Amino acid sequence: MQTIGKSVYRKEAPDKVTGAAKYAADFQKPGMLYAKLVISPYAHARIKDIDISEARNMPGVRAVLTGQQAPLVGEEIRDRPPIAFGKVRYHGEPVAVVVADTPFQSQTAAERIRIAYEPLPVVNTPADAIRKDAPLVHENLEQYEKGVMTYSEPNTNIANRIKIRKGNPAKGFLESDVVVENRISFSPSDHAAMETRCCIAEIAADGVVTITTSSQAPFMVKKILSDAFGIEAGKIVVHTPLVGGAYGGKSSVQWEIICYLASKAAGGRPVKLYYTREEDMLTAPGHVGLDATVKLGCTKDGKLLAAEIVYLFDSGAYADKSPDLNRAGAVDCTGPYHIEHIRCDSLSVYTNHPYPAPFRGFAHSEVLFAFERTMDKLAARLRMDPLELRRKNAIVPGHTTPTRVLLNKSNIGNLPRCLERLRELMDWEEGTLIRLSDRKVRAKGISCIWKTSTINTNASSGVILLVNPDGSINLMSGVVEIGTGTKTVLAQIVAEKLQMDVSRIHVRMEVDTQTTPEHWKTVGSRGTFMAGRAALAAADDLIRQLKDMASRVLRCSPDDLEVGGERVFLRDDPKTSVSVKDIAYGYTYPDGNAIGGQIIGRGNYILRRMTYLDPETGAGVPGPEWTVGAQGVVVEYDRRDHTYQIIKAVSVIDIGKVLNAKAAEGQVIGAMSMGLSFAGRETFEIDRNGIVRNPQLRIYRPLRFGEHPEYIVDFVETPQLDAPYGARGVGEHGLLGMPAALANSLSLAAGTDLNRLPLIPEMIWRAKEGVSHDSV
Amino acid sequence: MIPYDFEYYRPASIAETVRLFWVLDHQGKSPVYYSGGTEIITLARLHLIKTGAVIDIKHIPECRALGFEQNRLVLGAALSLTKLEEANPFPLLSKTSSGVADRTARNKITLGGNLCGQIFYREAALPFLLADSQAVIAGRDGIQRRSVHDVFNGGLRLGKGEFLVQLLTERSYSGLPYVSVKKRKQWETGYPLITVSALRKEERLRVAFSGLCPFPFRSAELEEDLNRRHVPLETRIDQAVRRLPAPLLNDIEGSSEYRIFVLRNLLAEVMEEMEGR
Repeated sequence: MQTIGKSVYRKEAPDKVTGAAKYAADFQKPGMLYAKLVISPYAHARIKDIDISEARNMPGVRAVLTGQQAPLVGEEIRDRPPIAFGKVRYHGEPVAVVVADTPFQSQTAAERIRIAYEPLPVVNTPADAIRKDAPLVHENLEQYEKGVMTYSEPNTNIANRIKIRKGNPAKGFLESDVVVENRISFSPSDHAAMETRCCIAEIAADGVVTITTSSQAPFMVKKILSDAFGIEAGKIVVHTPLVGGAYGGKSSVQWEIICYLASKAAGGRPVKLYYTREEDMLTAPGHVGLDATVKLGCTKDGKLLAAEIVYLFDSGAYADKSPDLNRAGAVDCTGPYHIEHIRCDSLSVYTNHPYPAPFRGFAHSEVLFAFERTMDKLAARLRMDPLELRRKNAIVPGHTTPTRVLLNKSNIGNLPRCLERLRELMDWEEGTLIRLSDRKVRAKGISCIWKTSTINTNASSGVILLVNPDGSINLMSGVVEIGTGTKTVLAQIVAEKLQMDVSRIHVRMEVDTQTTPEHWKTVGSRGTFMAGRAALAAADDLIRQLKDMASRVLRCSPDDLEVGGERVFLRDDPKTSVSVKDIAYGYTYPDGNAIGGQIIGRGNYILRRMTYLDPETGAGVPGPEWTVGAQGVVVEYDRRDHTYQIIKAVSVIDIGKVLNAKAAEGQVIGAMSMGLSFAGRETFEIDRNGIVRNPQLRIYRPLRFGEHPEYIVDFVETPQLDAPYGARGVGEHGLLGMPAALANSLSLAAGTDLNRLPLIPEMIWRAKEGVSHDSV
Repeated sequence: MIPYDFEYYRPASIAETVRLFWVLDHQGKSPVYYSGGTEIITLARLHLIKTGAVIDIKHIPECRALGFEQNRLVLGAALSLTKLEEANPFPLLSKTSSGVADRTARNKITLGGNLCGQIFYREAALPFLLADSQAVIAGRDGIQRRSVHDVFNGGLRLGKGEFLVQLLTERSYSGLPYVSVKKRKQWETGYPLITVSALRKEERLRVAFSGLCPFPFRSAELEEDLNRRHVPLETRIDQAVRRLPAPLLNDIEGSSEYRIFVLRNLLAEVMEEMEGR
């Protein structure tokens, strides 16, 4: 009865394909009120006056909220008033909230709030932010409460600086025959999930706060509300139904806080706060921007010796998760290569842009764009095949990472094998630049990838299994079903362990923080690993209890028993058995005596032996394992007008073990398309005043059907020994190398270095013609 | 959500439509004509269209006409773009309008809506400008025919309360050789960076543009330059580019200097194809 590896349909598929699936905004409650935001039209301005008098007297209006000095919120640095106070720091920041009986009334009243602003100088790029004379986005940085591994620099815009110091870079560069340096940059952008953010909050008479939200982090909602407002943790219940796309953007906590405040102002009545697309793009946290410089030194035969790197992550107006983003970028700052001498400063810097949430890949596609562009530049300088350069320097067991983790055959996959497979799939021997006509060329570009998940060192996950009277099992996990199918994979893991049919495992899709065991956050490709381990532990617990009960019925030692096919049987005589359903709720003897009770399996998992990073050198264990891979893109490029088509995109990823074949392939393809969309078209168009000019899907255009290339996905399987069935995380990895691979293919095709995203024809034209970018 | 109330009217005749407009206008309701509704919905929720009443013209029989009468193609303003593409009476129009928005939106977007809306690309105007079509316009003074050049070339010139009923095009135009190319900022979705439509009649090339300026246009002088066959192609293009109305669009779709670069390539492509035939 093998389930692992099979393409099992997602448990929630019938609801989704029939449209019956429910998302946060689909829920209504009797007496529900509606909140509407007033958002800032300025990127940086002092709030001189807010006049709410007219709005307050509009029909149906129950409350009007404006900013308060305290409490401040924020995950790594508590720097953010939930509603702007004193000044606004980004275009789209909430400035006031109206609560009314109907959405129409709240919006109409919101339009009557008069706010006087005094514009302030705008910090518009990370490079500007670190200038000595830059205006300060936060004047009181030193007063904010901060998390561990957050090193702010007061009286600057530096929210966090992580330092990596490994070996002796000066010596490394001295010994290098060839040194190249490359600069890249791109602006913030958006996740553009189909479901815009929504929250319903309510405060009962007994003080219990009930939240329903489109979130990847219901347990973090609970923690942050509790910390910021002094609410007993047990009195906060957060529900998450299905989530309609998240990609990291729904692991930040923002709309829930505003909605809670709105309900509180309306006497605890249920309040719904539903972001429009514009608010979802501007107000809610988006995708981080980056300015980076990478300098590499190597021997004349291409052995990397030294790297010197500066990453300036665009933290926007508030830190929230950005100190974690620049740390994640630091720990994997070099790409998956063995380099003895590394110096990296990875910074989060405040600007007057919308602030970042995590984005699928958590700083890795961003950092890899910088690093892998430099690798191609180095290969060109060496006149060396870029794939060969990567193969030569590929990181393998026995090497150490930038934070000096010694790699072994479990904690890292097999990169050389991924590269070999990529070479075949891309028909590398055919050549990387092929002339098709007077105008057109076909070009190939590649990128290596790696990622560890730098989530909290003490993050944990729990699973509960309840046996039903018919012997089937209910599975409860705090993993939010955000579209990745993880809960189905958990069912497969349990089915495999219990040797039963996966259709007999019933998965609870909704999470509520009162009755569902905690899963830290549904982020970082950690669902299968952490919740999978918890599921295995719960299954073991269940098996132990089943054997214990069966041993009494069958009058044998539990050690002689096996579980499978919803029966417990003697190992050497399987006919001697008892059905799980007959012991699920205890066992009743023929005379009516009963023993036991409902069998409940429980299991949990906590990350082990991870450490904080040394503040001076970055040394430490940042994550449990590294998934590696190699990716490539084939383009056809028109040398006359600089337009191009992406013909093919290829991923070879060492996934450890394929648990659900189609689901894994789907995750990788979905991530690849997202990476190509980010690389090829998506960006916020931010003007010189810090205003985002395209917060709409008419003019901000993710990749659509008809624009996709052929996707080729292949897997290598090097098991991670401590993971369920050896599986490594794979939810994000398809995205990671796409921007670099696309830029590498186009740089080759165009014959010029392309170091900005998105790679639109106008940008290539500017690079080719040497026309400076006159920001329009 | 459209954050204000408005009335909806569905008249069945041209006369009733015009009368309704003026009654509602008199009541201070700033009425607007409504066809597919995509733009009204898109812009009204942002307060970029404010109206107290919409008058749906889709149920006026004349606005739904589709076919040849004598030697003229008659196309009603309320026909959806996909309907026009499927019936395909004017292949250049089908080709040009099929680049507008996406299929789902084009099921709703109508010919009249694309031509008379606020979103200024109005790509469906290009074929009619090339074919010297007539616009049938209804207004307080009754029904009039006007040249499309007077109505759609450059800015939209409809008087207050007037609405487009039909477009009339000589049958012969639907058989002429044509090219229509839409270049976007990137790939296959989005507004035009530039859309060029061209048509050859009696060995002369006609060209019309959208996306260069905040209106579609056709320029006699520019065509004159392009048709000087004895002059090398590159020179003709140089001269034509000098004829462009100023200022050119310079926005998030593309800068004006890049648009000129794209235009040169596009013109070369169009000329190669049209003169090569």
